[in-house]
Amino acid sequence: MMSNVRRMVSLFKGVCRTRTCPVHTWTSGAGLVLQSRSTDVFQNLALEDWIEANVDLRQRGVLLLWRNRPAVVIGRHQNPWTECDLQAATKAGIHVARRRSGGGTVFHDLGNLNLTFFTSKKNYDRRRNLKMITDALRRVRPELDVQATDRLDIVLNGHLKISGTASRLRRDSSYHHCTLLHSADRSALSAVLRPSTSGIHSNATPSVPSPVANLVDHAPTLQWEELLEALVDQYNEEFGCTSALTSIDPSDEASFPGIGLFVSELSSWEWTFGKTPKFSVRTVLDLSEHRSAQLHLEVKNGLVASCQVLVPPDWIPQSLADQLSQVLVGERFCRHGAAAAAVSTLLRLDGTGGRLEELSKAVLRAMG
Amino acid sequence: SVSGECTSGVHSSPFFCFSCRCEFPSAANIFHIRYFKTSAVHRDEVVTVKTPAFAESVSEGDVRWEKAVGDSVTEDEVVCEIETDKTSVQVPAPAAGVIEELLVPDGGKVEGGTPLFKLRKGAGAAKAAPSPAVEAPAAAPPSPPPPPPPPTPTPAAMPPVPPQAPKAQPVSAVKPTHAAPGPSAAGSRGESRVKMNRMRLRIAQRLKEAQNTCAMLTTFNEVDMSNIQEMRKFHKDAFLKKHNIKLGFMSAFVKAAAHALTDQPAVNAVIDDTTKEIIYRDYVDISVAVATPKGLVVPVIRNVETMNFTDIEKAINALGEKARKNELAVEDMDGGTFTISNGGVFGSLFGTPIINPPQSAILGMHGIFDRPMAINGKVEIRPMMYVALTYDHRLVDGREAVTFLRKIKSVVEDPRVLMLDL
Repeated sequence: MMSNVRRMVSLFKGVCRTRTCPVHTWTSGAGLVLQSRSTDVFQNLALEDWIEANVDLRQRGVLLLWRNRPAVVIGRHQNPWTECDLQAATKAGIHVARRRSGGGTVFHDLGNLNLTFFTSKKNYDRRRNLKMITDALRRVRPELDVQATDRLDIVLNGHLKISGTASRLRRDSSYHHCTLLHSADRSALSAVLRPSTSGIHSNATPSVPSPVANLVDHAPTLQWEELLEALVDQYNEEFGCTSALTSIDPSDEASFPGIGLFVSELSSWEWTFGKTPKFSVRTVLDLSEHRSAQLHLEVKNGLVASCQVLVPPDWIPQSLADQLSQVLVGERFCRHGAAAAAVSTLLRLDGTGGRLEELSKAVLRAMG
Repeated sequence: SVSGECTSGVHSSPFFCFSCRCEFPSAANIFHIRYFKTSAVHRDEVVTVKTPAFAESVSEGDVRWEKAVGDSVTEDEVVCEIETDKTSVQVPAPAAGVIEELLVPDGGKVEGGTPLFKLRKGAGAAKAAPSPAVEAPAAAPPSPPPPPPPPTPTPAAMPPVPPQAPKAQPVSAVKPTHAAPGPSAAGSRGESRVKMNRMRLRIAQRLKEAQNTCAMLTTFNEVDMSNIQEMRKFHKDAFLKKHNIKLGFMSAFVKAAAHALTDQPAVNAVIDDTTKEIIYRDYVDISVAVATPKGLVVPVIRNVETMNFTDIEKAINALGEKARKNELAVEDMDGGTFTISNGGVFGSLFGTPIINPPQSAILGMHGIFDRPMAINGKVEIRPMMYVALTYDHRLVDGREAVTFLRKIKSVVEDPRVLMLDL
């Protein structure tokens, strides 16, 4: 155990193993290239936090390469209910995670490579990072027409997006991460990247959809390992050092002390859903016999802050509908769990099988 | 233009440093927060923090507040984040203090230099952020209230559906701190009045209605748990290995109840007061009371009459998992023809459960305690559980109720009874 820690510490103290790096290409010191062995989105996001918190980036930068089992990753200030169909995701075993950096929603899977460039604030240069990537691609497949755009995407043949970027700036450090579509499963995308429920009015950061493509569609012989190697070589060349690709295991608490806390935070409901900017839901609920009710919910911090259900006066008494509204206030905006339990208690009290039950279930269905 | 490092460290412009005349290439971004004392009245106390300059010719960003007015912050604590062009930039507090005013609404657009918020400096002046105010039932706190202790109104009563819903209500009535205010000063004799919330009132009303309509009676018996415990001890490893879940003893009681309910259909039936009919059901749906961090929920196992011990154990396990992960759907908690409630988890010895309307009976399980028993003329120590059956006497007569409970006892004490259909 201790030897692990010492090894990690020495890695990050960054003894540049081979040659001294010329000062003008980097402020000083070496770059370090790491590859995560984990495919768990929360562990990898936690690893980013850990590196940012524990590694002195003033002397050297770090490049982290990682990929995840299928997951939907939303930006820091986005609304998971508008970006993703949460029921479909849960059913498919797809995790939903909120990252720390801004930007839009991405679908991760094992065919989608993530690169994170950790640097000091001074050396933060996203265009340079993207140039490194396009240079690497051109080197390994010269026939590929890849370009970085003004919006910091990388496009193939002028219009097909193969990479999107996001970043995070703190007081002393920064990171820029981006995706690179090698061989992602795009069919799984469409089933999940759509709103959970209709009628959401939100000022959260929206996602900008674009046509995407996989590298293998245009360079079928490009293997994953070949791509990684090309990127590592180009990184070393661009930033002036020789760093071998070091494989790390973010689940090893001994090598990454404190990473468990980052993982718990990132996988918590409070972070993923509770951090959603305030939004409202206004929708019409279809009831039997061609009747309908109006639902208006305000959601703050992922919890129902206020709820109003307006029913036709001859259908059930408005007071009964108000009881339903009351029961939902303070609960998570989610059709399962505490809201369902509260509704079920109400139904047990006031009779099941009736219109109140129908209304309650319609309201719950409208909740994420 | 001169590239390279500037050592002065402080720049009034993002692109040009006056002290060393170095110009920053647009590729290097440096963020600065300028502090201005703007208030004439509190000249040295309130500072206005402005939006840091954006880099790479980005003109505007959206503000997302992390803190609210009145929150106290420490130096460098993040007050808000600004999202520009896929970048999330943190804006920390320049000093410890209290947030006095937010100058931009959440989601509002800002440019470099736009005033963001006012901070009243001074750690001493900081007052703790107001905890979710205990207000009228209509108010909703931003976070759910803490779960109250397991509700046991009196030691004898064991409500099958304890008011867990009040936890959904942001009303102080539910918070332990208000239900039983600790004495602030030794011997103080104050009082605090807390309004009952609607849900609690409704539950209270419904319970009284049930008591008034049903003729509720409770019959007791005791169960010798030795055989079941031995069966578990003997088979638990193989069970875990094959089925991947632990073998509990709830499944024995659920199976026993299902067997007894098919045998005595009246206990599985219910009176419809509006039409004065008895509704007999040929399916057995057992509601199992499950304790969760947020209170008691009552998910239903459907068609138990078709299940064996293992099926039941799996169903209980699955529902328990769902309950724990807050994934129980409202459909999971619909209906039920009979309820089983286990007060034993809280250490209850003996008690009268209350029927969970609209059902006709409820089985209350209690704690397992070693007791001396007379076995074949000798005294032996056996692990014993008292069981209670509260039933609606309008529908179920005494003989049926006692027979029903004895049947449960015989199945749990000797599961071979099921094999032989006795």
